[in-house]
This record gives sequence, C-alpha cells and structure tokens, in this order.
Amino acid sequence: MDGSSSNDTTWHSKHPHLGTGPLPTNVFTCENQFQLEREHIFKKLWLNVGRVEQIPEPGNYFVQDIAMCQTSILVVRGKDGEVRAFHNMCSHRGNKVAWDKHGSCKAFTCKFHGWTYGLDGTLRSVPDEKNFFDLDTSKLGLTLVACDVWEGFIFINVDPQPAEDLTSFLGEFGTRLHGYPFADISTSSASWTTEVNANWKVVKDAFLETYHVAFLHGRSLPDSFTSQSNPHNQILDLRLYPYHGTISLYGNADVKPSPVGSIAFRHGASLIRQNFDPNAPPPGVNPGRHEDWTLDLNTVFPSFFIDVSEGSYFTHNFWPVAVDRTIWHSTQYFPKAQTASQRFTQEYGHVLFRDIILEDGRTLEETHSMLASGAKKEFYLQDEEILVRHSHHVIQQMIERATGTHAHV
Amino acid sequence: MSDATLPASFSDLQPWTSWALATERERSDKRQASSMEEILVFYNALLPRAEAALEYLEQYPLERMPADANMLLLLTLSLAEVAPAVELFGQPGVVDGYDVRRFQPERRG
Ligand code: FES
Ligand SMILES: [Fe+2]
Repeated sequence: MDGSSSNDTTWHSKHPHLGTGPLPTNVFTCENQFQLEREHIFKKLWLNVGRVEQIPEPGNYFVQDIAMCQTSILVVRGKDGEVRAFHNMCSHRGNKVAWDKHGSCKAFTCKFHGWTYGLDGTLRSVPDEKNFFDLDTSKLGLTLVACDVWEGFIFINVDPQPAEDLTSFLGEFGTRLHGYPFADISTSSASWTTEVNANWKVVKDAFLETYHVAFLHGRSLPDSFTSQSNPHNQILDLRLYPYHGTISLYGNADVKPSPVGSIAFRHGASLIRQNFDPNAPPPGVNPGRHEDWTLDLNTVFPSFFIDVSEGSYFTHNFWPVAVDRTIWHSTQYFPKAQTASQRFTQEYGHVLFRDIILEDGRTLEETHSMLASGAKKEFYLQDEEILVRHSHHVIQQMIERATGTHAHV
Repeated sequence: MSDATLPASFSDLQPWTSWALATERERSDKRQASSMEEILVFYNALLPRAEAALEYLEQYPLERMPADANMLLLLTLSLAEVAPAVELFGQPGVVDGYDVRRFQPERRG
C-alpha cells in the first residue's frame, strides 16, 4: 500500500518464505484448529513453567496447571538439588498429590488414601499395603515429565519422547542470550495473573509488535518509545529463528520524565532507558548494538516471552484454556531491593508497567468478541508486524508437518 | 493502620496515613476507590516530601524498618501507585484499560 512495503529494505524482504498476504481469521475461533494446536504444538514442545528461584531449597515445589496439555504439572526440587517435574497424579486412583499451588514438604502424601511419594517421585508407602494384589510399588512412582533448566528458566515437555532436547529447541536463540544476568536480576519478582476471554493467539499477537505503541500507549508512554525521528516506534532490529524471534525496540533518550518518574529515575533502573554501554550485554541482547536501544522483545515459541532491558526484564506466559479463553501471566523481575529508594523505584516501574499492559489487555476481549461474527475473513499485517506473521507461520507449519495436510485454507 | 504514627520529622504527612497500605492489591484498590480530588490532594502532599522521605529511609535496611519508617515507606509506594492516575490518565483508572481488579498480583522476594 505504501512505498516501504514494496521495496527490498523491508523486514519481510529478508524473510520471503513468510509471504506478505493477509492472515485468515478463522484460526482464532476454530475448535478444530485449537485441538490441532493442542496435539501438535503444546503437547510436543518445551514449555516454560517458572524459574528456579521459586524453589530454592530441597522440598520446595510449585504446581502449574496446563489445560492445553490436559494435565497439572508438579515441579519439585529434590534432596539432590535436582529440579524434576511430574504429572500431579496419584498412582492409586488419580487424585492430585499436591493441592496447593506451591509449598515445601519432605514427601507428598495423597490426601485420598494416604499413598506417600518421595521428592524424587518414588512411591514410599501404601497404607494397608498387604490388602492389595500383586502391587509392585517400585513401578508405581509419580509419572515423570521431561524437565530441563536454561538460564534459570524451568521448562517441561509432556511428550514422553520429546523430538529434541531443550538446548536444541532453543538453539542459537538460547546461546546468544547466555551471559545476561538473569540470576542476579531474578532475586525478586512481582507478577499478575488473569483469565482473558480471548484466543491465546489474540493475546500473544498483541505483545508481538510495536506498531500499536504510538497509538494505544499514547497516554501511558508519551515520547518514551517514539520521537520525531521515529514517530511510529519502528523496530531497530529483527532476528528470526526457526521457532523463536527477537526484535529490538527503540527508546527516546530525550524523554522528559514525569515528576514522580524523575524521582524514581534518580534512584535506579526503570522501564525507560538510561545511559548505558551498548556493547556491554551478551550478543543476543541489543544484537544490532544500537545506541538508541531500550529493550528486546524475545518470543519463545509457542507462548512465552522474555523481554530484556538493562537491569530488569519481564516475562509473559500465555496458557490456552479453551479456544476462547487464555490465562495471561506476566512477571517483572528485579534485583532484590536493599533500600527504600530501590523499593520505591521498583514499585514505580511495576505500577507503570502494569498500567501499560492494562491498555494492551483491553484490546484482547474487544477483538476476540468480534471474531465469531465472521465479518472479517482476513487481517492485514504491515512490515513491522512480522513477528505476528512468523508466529502464525510456525503454528501452521507444525500442524501441516504433523498431519500432512493444510489445516486451514 | 491510620492511628499509627510516622517518624516525627514527617508528622506533616499524618493526615495521609490511610494510604499506608502493605500490598499492591490494597494500594490499587484504594486508588480505584478514590475520587480524582482525593488522589490529587494525596499526590500533592507527598510529591514535595518524597525525596526527603527516601533520604530519611536510607538509614535503615529494607528488611528491618522500624514501624514508623515502614509507614513512611508505604506512603511513598502509594505515591508510585497514584502517579500514573495523575501524570498520565487524569482519572483514577487506566483510560480504556482492562479491569485492574481482574489482575491477581503476587510478589516473591
Ligand atoms: S488416590 Fe491417592 S491414595 Fe488413593
Ligand atoms: Fe503494548
């Protein structure tokens, strides 16, 4: 439509396999599509369920219900320090062995008939065991789920035989982020969880592009991510991997902080960039070494984000519940505050970030509620929305490879 | 909480101690339940005292704040909470925002 989309300096021209055509809208509402995503994506890939700091000591555990995988996952740190994951299901008659969302224990005792499991999942004791018939307790531990840790992020894979390990799934994307101080920054965190009446891709797509920043966030981020030289917050850089992707966001160094904002900025890091050395971070952070960089949006397929800046980072996890329902979980990580000034600065950044994503959040149900009308068969993506296109491309490609058919045309 | 006291050098902020709330949920609820006038008088009272308050609080490690100092700290956190209402939105809630009461906050560390 405009000149920039037809010349060869576009992001799309560097990734011609993605095409430039419109996006079919039935992928957001089709129950069959949702089932295919369940079977061929969420039940096959590595999914982030949390961080190691949530379970620092042996016996610490947390539970992540994953409706899309039709299970509840129990993540435990064992006596040997290893992080393991199990289906949260008793071997006797199926009750969940952990009912609390997180906690600490020496063993898991099922609340139904009292079968007890060690932290490594082995079955330790069965009340009135002699009344069972041919019970081989050595085979009746909790069912292990593939679990691995990358940079402190815990991933699980419910496929009993994952096609690849976590390292190869993350690939070059993972190695390039090595060296970012995730452990130092993750000593405290603040998160929000909400259930949105929208398809998980409606939710995810809203966090994959910055085209909306100048308009939707015009009140909350006046001039932080835009300037006369970059009025539409165009991205500085794009890196696409087979599954994952990174875009680097522009920040306006000349932005005037608000009165409370300027107090916060005098005391430390914030959402909006301060002076920094563009060559200091690892190669995966600000990969183009741009002077006017503010943060990188890293999307880990299928529905995890790690958005990093100098001194803090935040994550999003989007958990599909039904074709029109998604649990949205966002977390901001900070180095643990030692002083009141640091605590205040973090709170300012936290509240500002919350209010910004509340602006994003409003679009989700307003969009999803119209999809069923069928009024629009296609959506149109501009060059800057390339991560949205990439995400849909990878989803359809995975389904087509698994089923040998075009799931949707 | 409002019958507790602030450090003597910040007794001028005593009228605002109903904003000394311990959690994000409580601070956010208070912001949403207040009129813009109520938010503005609190903001205008706290803003000129915030730097001095943070400087005063530097003498204590965060983990071991005396009760009066902690109350002062909580007032500064409420200033952070209402700042976007005053400085960005001109109303208590986010303009055209998702309902903040549907966000379940959780802190660790
Ligand atoms: S279901 Fe767990 S002990 Fe019976
Ligand atoms: Fe946004």
